[in-house]
Amino acid sequence: MSQETSEELLRQFADGGVSVLVATVDADGFPTCCRGIAIAFKNDFESVTIYVPAATAQETIANVATTRRVALACSHPLSHQSMQVKGLTRGVRLAPAADEAFVRQRLDQFARVLDDIGLPRRVTRSIAHWPAFAIDISIEQVFDQTPGPKAGVAVA
Amino acid sequence: MKLSSISRCFQGVVPSLVASSDATGMPNIVYVSQVYLVDDTHVALSCQFFNKTRRNLDENPNVSVEVYDPVTFQAYRMRLRFLRSEKSGPLFDTMAMRIQAIASHTGMEGVFRLIAADIFEVLRVEKVEGFLTDACAHDQQEISVTGLRTELRGLQLVSERINRAEDLETLLAAALDALDVYFGFQHTIVLLNDESAQKLVTIACRGYGGGVGAEVAFGDGLIGTVARERKILRITGLNESLRYGRAVRRAVISDGGKSRPEIPLPGLPDAQSALVIPLLLEERLVGVLAAESREPMTFGEWDEAYLTIIGNQIALGIDRVLETEETVPAERPAQIPIAPPLQIAARPRRTLTYYKDDDAVFLDNEYLIRNVPGRILWKLLDEWKSQGRTSFTNRELRLDRSLGLPEIKDNLESRLILLRHRLREKCPEVSINSTGRGRFALEINADLDLVER
Repeated sequence: MSQETSEELLRQFADGGVSVLVATVDADGFPTCCRGIAIAFKNDFESVTIYVPAATAQETIANVATTRRVALACSHPLSHQSMQVKGLTRGVRLAPAADEAFVRQRLDQFARVLDDIGLPRRVTRSIAHWPAFAIDISIEQVFDQTPGPKAGVAVA
Repeated sequence: MKLSSISRCFQGVVPSLVASSDATGMPNIVYVSQVYLVDDTHVALSCQFFNKTRRNLDENPNVSVEVYDPVTFQAYRMRLRFLRSEKSGPLFDTMAMRIQAIASHTGMEGVFRLIAADIFEVLRVEKVEGFLTDACAHDQQEISVTGLRTELRGLQLVSERINRAEDLETLLAAALDALDVYFGFQHTIVLLNDESAQKLVTIACRGYGGGVGAEVAFGDGLIGTVARERKILRITGLNESLRYGRAVRRAVISDGGKSRPEIPLPGLPDAQSALVIPLLLEERLVGVLAAESREPMTFGEWDEAYLTIIGNQIALGIDRVLETEETVPAERPAQIPIAPPLQIAARPRRTLTYYKDDDAVFLDNEYLIRNVPGRILWKLLDEWKSQGRTSFTNRELRLDRSLGLPEIKDNLESRLILLRHRLREKCPEVSINSTGRGRFALEINADLDLVER
């Protein structure tokens, strides 16, 4: 069986309809998590921008400003196919108004998928998504995280 | 905030997020299918495939978890500190059983299993303010006094019906009917333990339009796992759990591993919730009672408590009926006249074939029934044909060694119920009708050809 490259793996999560989970750690080593709304891969999958809602990401933003380290996990809710990226924060900014339509579209895609598995769209559409912070990170490591015996295996 | 006030978040309907960190401060984040509520200051996480999380806990015991209310989708964040891993004990057994049931159902026993129950102290829990912009206002489900009265009345009526029932078929039909009418359990199944064959046989069901006779091996799927472990199993968000199990299965197969086929759930193909209860008399397993629903949040602790009480009553009732049936001699022939055979203009012609090697009876080349119920049918038909007999007793069946009934707990009554159901479904021209306690009549409204091979 041929080994999947990190780019091939990441490409499978680039089109939306996936859950976006973000973990950071504070200066005392205490981790925290929050849900992201959208991701956008850049520079031939060498970096990624993660959009997190301003309303719920205060701890996350404070952490990336101090420790810079970020774990990003994405998962397809129907199949549980999942991956995790470990990276370093290159910049944090309030997402510009021009990005709002993209973020909204990603939330709608995610809501459609969850609707298929029984979580009504009226619920998922009420998830706060804007204003959002955009966290730019450089991708350092990629892991296949689909549940199973090989979950957590690094992908080259 | 008390953990018990957000108990819906711990039912495993919406996966939770778990963030950990290694000694160097590199975070890690994973989904977990369920966070278990231990008490108001402790929770447990299942350690299955958390290779990285597991290693991180040894380096840094601090963890953050985000859980979701499955009704409103409101998020709550908890700060936890890892205390210990448990690899045995009541909590481990409860968590392991849910995982085993899903693993067994998806053909993943052994691969997909609980390694340890990791226990955490809850340092802080808080609502994630601003998570929802327009939170769906769903009040906590309260148990109304009216509902409580209805359920208590239901409990009383179920007990009465079970105690009054003279035979197994009446007892189970009455119990399942009362569960539907008074408790809203619309889809229920009772399976009896066939100890000699190490399997369960469906003996009664409601809300499925058939299914009597379906068999489940010990350890197979949700029902077989409950039978093996003899513990109650309540699963909400069944679809989500099965999707997770199937993801593991795909990963194993794509990695060159082998797995047996998935076990079809007896009952609803699209069940979202299941409540499966072992019917126990002390340590002896009498059978299993299962309830299903298409709604993900149907069964709560309340339903579990009530169904357990009713399950105990059903187990006692089954034992009483079978015990009475085995020890009390057959009544004198019933005074009630047997209905005359249906007047059919042209009697149909049917061929029944008994295959000795397979121990099975076929009707017009289609499988009808096998094993003990098949042998009973063949004995009845043989004596009807050779001696013209139509009246029989349970006692004579028990004394007939050729039928292979176990000497103790022979489940004859349940085997006759099974035979009656199969004949009703597949060959209504042949029927077995009770004519009093321990007696029955064979009624035939067809020209039968009996072939033995």
